[in-house]
Amino acid sequence: MTHAMDRRRLMTGTAAVLGLGWLSLPALAQEKRLRMFWWGSKERADRTFKGNKLYSAKNPGVKIDGETIGWSDYWPRMATQAAGRNLADVIQMDYRYIFEYARRGALLDLNPYVGKALDLSGFDKNSIDCGKVDGKLYGINLGNNSTAMLANISAFEGAGLKVPTGDLTWDEYGKLCAELTKAAKKDGFYGSMDSGGLEPSFEVFVRQRGKNLYSEDGKAGFSAEDASDWFAYWDGLRQSKACVPADVQALDKQNIETNPLTLGKAAVAFAHSNQLVGYQAVNPNKLSIGMYPSGGAGAKPGQYLKPSMFFSVAGTSKNPEDAVKVINFVINDPEGVKAYGVERGVPPSSKSRDLIAADLDALGKAQVDYIASVTSKVGPLPPPPPKGAGEIAFLLRRTNEEVGFGRIKPAEAGKKFLTEASSILSRG
Amino acid sequence: MASIAQPSSGLGQTVRKSLPAYGFLSPWLIGLFCLTAGPVLASLYLSFTNFDLIQTPRWVGTANYERIFTNDPKFIAAMKVTFTYVLLSVPFKLAFALMLAMALNRGIQGLSIYRAIFYLPSLLGASVAIAVLWRQVFAGDGLLNAVLKWAFGYQGPSWISNPDYALYTLVSLSIWQFGSPMIIFLAGLRQIPQDMYEAASLDGAGPMRQMFKITLPLLTPVIFFNGVIQTIEAFKAFTPAFIVSEGTGGPVDSTMFYTLYLYLEGFAYLRMGYASALAWVLVVIIAFFTAFSFLSAKYWVHYDD
Amino acid sequence: MTTEISVAAPAAAPPSVFAGPPKGIKAILLHAILFVASLAMLYPLIWMFVSSLRPEEEIFSNPSIIPNHIDFSSYWRGWTGLRFSFGTFFWNSLVISVLSVIGNMMSCSLAAYAFTRLKFAGRDFWFALMLGTLMMPQHVVLIPQYVLFLNLGWVDTIAPLVVPKFLAVDAFFIFLMVQFFRGIPKELDEAAAMDGCGPWRIYWRIMLPLSMPVLATTAIFTFIWTWDEFFAPLVYLNDMGSYTVQLGLRAFVDSTGKSDWGALFAMSVVTLVPVLVLFVLFQRLLIEGIATTGMKR
Repeated sequence: MTHAMDRRRLMTGTAAVLGLGWLSLPALAQEKRLRMFWWGSKERADRTFKGNKLYSAKNPGVKIDGETIGWSDYWPRMATQAAGRNLADVIQMDYRYIFEYARRGALLDLNPYVGKALDLSGFDKNSIDCGKVDGKLYGINLGNNSTAMLANISAFEGAGLKVPTGDLTWDEYGKLCAELTKAAKKDGFYGSMDSGGLEPSFEVFVRQRGKNLYSEDGKAGFSAEDASDWFAYWDGLRQSKACVPADVQALDKQNIETNPLTLGKAAVAFAHSNQLVGYQAVNPNKLSIGMYPSGGAGAKPGQYLKPSMFFSVAGTSKNPEDAVKVINFVINDPEGVKAYGVERGVPPSSKSRDLIAADLDALGKAQVDYIASVTSKVGPLPPPPPKGAGEIAFLLRRTNEEVGFGRIKPAEAGKKFLTEASSILSRG
Repeated sequence: MASIAQPSSGLGQTVRKSLPAYGFLSPWLIGLFCLTAGPVLASLYLSFTNFDLIQTPRWVGTANYERIFTNDPKFIAAMKVTFTYVLLSVPFKLAFALMLAMALNRGIQGLSIYRAIFYLPSLLGASVAIAVLWRQVFAGDGLLNAVLKWAFGYQGPSWISNPDYALYTLVSLSIWQFGSPMIIFLAGLRQIPQDMYEAASLDGAGPMRQMFKITLPLLTPVIFFNGVIQTIEAFKAFTPAFIVSEGTGGPVDSTMFYTLYLYLEGFAYLRMGYASALAWVLVVIIAFFTAFSFLSAKYWVHYDD
Repeated sequence: MTTEISVAAPAAAPPSVFAGPPKGIKAILLHAILFVASLAMLYPLIWMFVSSLRPEEEIFSNPSIIPNHIDFSSYWRGWTGLRFSFGTFFWNSLVISVLSVIGNMMSCSLAAYAFTRLKFAGRDFWFALMLGTLMMPQHVVLIPQYVLFLNLGWVDTIAPLVVPKFLAVDAFFIFLMVQFFRGIPKELDEAAAMDGCGPWRIYWRIMLPLSMPVLATTAIFTFIWTWDEFFAPLVYLNDMGSYTVQLGLRAFVDSTGKSDWGALFAMSVVTLVPVLVLFVLFQRLLIEGIATTGMKR
């Protein structure tokens, strides 16, 4: 009967599919297998796989399966795996998300391992504390990082102007950029990007006023006036053509490849120090790295040292001890430290920094020097961001766009931003 | 089956008559019950919880739905964006696809090359390159403005990053990727028997008359299919906004499509319970439109049976 | 074998609907329009190709479409740059796509046949349900689905990507086939039934041969959509050795750090080649389908 035959064919087809599926499962072996998951592209993958290989060579019987994908695809996969209780043992974590995942119980408290499998003796207090959430240690800092202003050197020098640094106040910075726009005489080329919608920039601004973006109890730490002043500042820069107009800034999706600096529309980008390498790779002109403008006389330091990323261990890990050992290997063991270099940021441990100093290229050295130079000028860690902080970062961007496109006045925008942010925070 | 003792009741009769059909349907039924039904019902359940992906979901009753309808301005904004997109992209895309399918159905030289070229944009799918490309075309210094300036001396705005126009650039992206309905129309045109045209020709009917009397009526099942599918797809549109605005929905939320909003709620803000409720509201809206299309089909779709 | 119904009827009718191909000025006009439209369609491919030849630092800041250097190194870099060569990703994508094509053609045509030609209790109900599955946004069923496949032990295998195709989960194709099957004259299967053909034989001997255009369409779409898909592979394939081409492409780019854009564009071009070739080959099937359906009525 053909009917039956078809069914049989269908079944063998399905079985074949299943069989193929099983084939691609890792072969069963006696060795311990750990999974490690990180975002990043090729260079990071090369370095990480190398580190894992070195670890396995030193610890026979432990094999690490690396899983990697770019930043934007990382989080949906991570969320799905978390929902399935199938997270990798060692997870690369971001400063924003670590609070979200730790508070929901997806990560392992690493405090019990400190001083045993995990040696943090080379870390200063700040570098350890930034991985703590509600007193427990959920992430090991892989590299120090701070906000940084990247500037196109030849644009400023060609116009006979000084390359901007952190010595300038915000107002001086605005004037300098307006002069650059005028002097450059290039259609559609401006001094600065519009950083009014970038949460790290706003945070620096608020901290310079002695406040924080979020208070210890998870409320908004800034006032409507602070926000209004911020929006008004950037509106002023737009008016004076010191920064790009709103419809150019809106092309920026807050990543390297769409930043106005990269697109050749502005001479300055507001970014993070570990992104210097990425920006330089897609920019034909040499870039300088410097601190954000200052709050002027009597202002508090706005910037702080933050972790570029962490390694965390999944709460569901079956081999937590081994996972911790892997992390320890890359922050302390000379082989591991050298394999990673400064690709994930400047190592927090001074011993490790000395280890890699000799192998650094020019960009790596610029990064290390920058962190060394800002260390004495930064403020303390802010309180941890509450739930909803991610949504507020989006809100800031949108509100700045509304001002930019003339849909709302800066004064109102500040009030509206605070109201909406508070309502997001109360929802959690 | 013949060996089964004949059931006497009417019900048995129906069951017996239905058996072959269920045999044919069995792969689909297995898929429905084993793969589709569970996750769909789970999402319905989750829409009544505060599921955050990691912790065990807690029942919150109809709170999510209440919030959607009484206290969520973003829901209304996303609805507006999505409806505008559906109303503009679907008719234009279908008209384009139908026109080109008809043009390409004629025996001209280089036919297969044209067909492949016109399908090319649809091949790009969700390619990362689309985002960069669309910016090259629709930015202030983009290709479109260069053409406008050259032809009319008009300096256009930055279409893609202006909240007044950004959505329309996504509509045009959708229209540009008209390849799939075009192929389906082509396949439909191929099914129209040649002899009908020959007969009509003999009766002295011109090309226009043939189109309205033969081509379009016989194509209605395919037009209907494309209409329903494209409407559903447009309501669910996610990729264009996600790729072009890189998940921000900007500028000023002007491209915050419904599913993008839902995705951000679920995966970025970890409110999967709320996202599930949003999804079910969307399902109801789509179902309403689809049911309406099926009701109307009685009056304009010609089936052979 | 008594009911051998001849379906390979009138050989090669001219592939045109109207009275032959347009001639003279009309043809030139048509070509001109199609040519201009083609440029708009080809622009992305040209642009992608040019970008792949550009030095990295110029890709974003130089909007021109004319390259000033020509450098093919990004192709080699892209092909070998990741831990596995791009050949591995091609093979993975090919296996998944081919299996999906087979699965969809079999399972969806079976279901569509039942919906169009067989009478059974609950037909309208099941049909509505089938359409309903089209309406669900994939992002909210993703999590429960993942948990389901995880419990089945299918995560990290290609099973979650392929098995559903054998179980007709792509309702789009069922609906598509239903619309086309309804256009095939009923007299044919009624005649066959008179000759004692069972439903299976009618399906296999009459419906399928008469449905070449829609089967070809299904094959093309399934292949291309599976090839382009990235969300499901992203979630279900963890190990880089099992990545598809789309995941491979995404592994070049990290928007927060240093990316290899040249390699991305180079491999984007390469990735288009197989689907384009397949399309050109399969569309012939779609066209030749007419020879068999031209006999209608």
